[in-house]
Amino acid sequence: MKVYVIDNGGQWTHREWRVLRYLGVDTRIVPNRAPFESIADADALILSGGSPSVAADGERMGNNGEYLDKAEVPVLGICAGMQFMSTHFGGETAPAKVPEYGKVTIAVSEDARLFERLPREFTVWASHNDEVRRVPSDFRVVARSEVCEVQAIEHKERPLFGLQFHPEVEDTEHGMEIFRNFLDIVEEWR
Amino acid sequence: MFDAERFVEEQVQKARDTIRDNAIIACSGGVDSTVAAVIVNEAIGGRLLAVFVDTGLMRKGEKEEVQAMLERLGLNYKIVDASDEFFDALKGIVDPEMKRKVIGERFIRVFEREAREFGARFLVQGTIAPDWIESGDELRDTIKSHHNVGGIPKDMELELFEPLRDLYKDEVRVIARYLGVEVSERQPFPGPALAIRVLGEVNRENIEIVRNACFIVEDEIETAAKKGIMEFPWQYFAVLLPVQSVGVHGDARVYGKTVAVRSVRSIDGMSASYSRIPHEILERISLRITNEMKEQVNRVVYDITNKPPATIEWE
Repeated sequence: MKVYVIDNGGQWTHREWRVLRYLGVDTRIVPNRAPFESIADADALILSGGSPSVAADGERMGNNGEYLDKAEVPVLGICAGMQFMSTHFGGETAPAKVPEYGKVTIAVSEDARLFERLPREFTVWASHNDEVRRVPSDFRVVARSEVCEVQAIEHKERPLFGLQFHPEVEDTEHGMEIFRNFLDIVEEWR
Repeated sequence: MFDAERFVEEQVQKARDTIRDNAIIACSGGVDSTVAAVIVNEAIGGRLLAVFVDTGLMRKGEKEEVQAMLERLGLNYKIVDASDEFFDALKGIVDPEMKRKVIGERFIRVFEREAREFGARFLVQGTIAPDWIESGDELRDTIKSHHNVGGIPKDMELELFEPLRDLYKDEVRVIARYLGVEVSERQPFPGPALAIRVLGEVNRENIEIVRNACFIVEDEIETAAKKGIMEFPWQYFAVLLPVQSVGVHGDARVYGKTVAVRSVRSIDGMSASYSRIPHEILERISLRITNEMKEQVNRVVYDITNKPPATIEWE
């Protein structure tokens, strides 16, 4: 199974690569300017986080939009990756009323596919200045924290997922399991 | 998960194929550079010279400990005293990024001299993933310029060989245990050393203060952890702050310096939470620093910030 990590310049992009490798996946890190053709053989994509503000600085998100339009495979957007995905499909991203850096407790929906077999509440690690203010109509919110209404989203029909927090970070509880759940979805989709 | 045996085999082979003539390795005696040294030594043996630079910015007894370890490892090594050079270069500099760049450049100049003398074209470094990630690139912001990546001057004449670039420290420790490297569990210590634990200008006097404070913090925490009173933190040290405050010593007013105690729990250094040090240990640290270092320090504070939003070191 090939799952590529699209590098949007995150501090933890390389950790996503490490987690995928630990899970036995064939993976590589691809800069977000790479042409779609170079990643067309992927079975799934991860859109990493990064310092660009999606609303103000979308240019620095490179070809993420093209990947989302052309790829028919499952995609997981993390942090800025999720914010971009949400904005791309008609949502709105804006500076967070209260940002979250480090430890955050999230509450997840019972039927969220990425959180299958996980507790309803757990600790994650986040690091974001912006937040998704309005979710596109084809998506639903599947996790929240005390100060951030949109901690996770999933598309109602397509295998598109977004996480505001960072499952690849050691301090996040159940991070590896979230990746496993995503890979199960990828496996089903193939 | 992580296969140390396979990794070492691959990297020894790669070192053999890449390094055709002599090489030097920048060896601080920490786990990363020591593991890199052992791997490359396995590949090219006597064609490798391990260079330990005494920057004058090291911890108490560090040079002697590293020398003894290099001796036990049976490596071809050399210790270079460059402390005057480092203190001169750091004069008047307060900006943390400037400090890191000046130190990075000094290291490279020393290595270039040693490489010329040894006839080496390659510089081996124990660079690991967080070093280049935090140093920044075309896509990534610079969080801090690690001396061995972002601190390297553009005109360096040496070629780099960095076998551990894609690893994090927990993985390097697995290799270290596999290779029987004795410093496998040693806490991380930054390349710019105590220079980035002195906020503000670096001079011999300030370095001596933070060196003594670091020693007390290490001593108390290691003693407590060995007794099972607390878990071994990932990293634990003192920082000298550019802040003075009022105190009272034997009914006399004093106006002294402030030391911050920093201790964190982490797996890979890329995220961290502050250590839950028991209050009796914190109090012992505070008492020892303010009593044993009464001429300089009259206040001790504890840093309770996670990473993010803070980083582990203060600069």
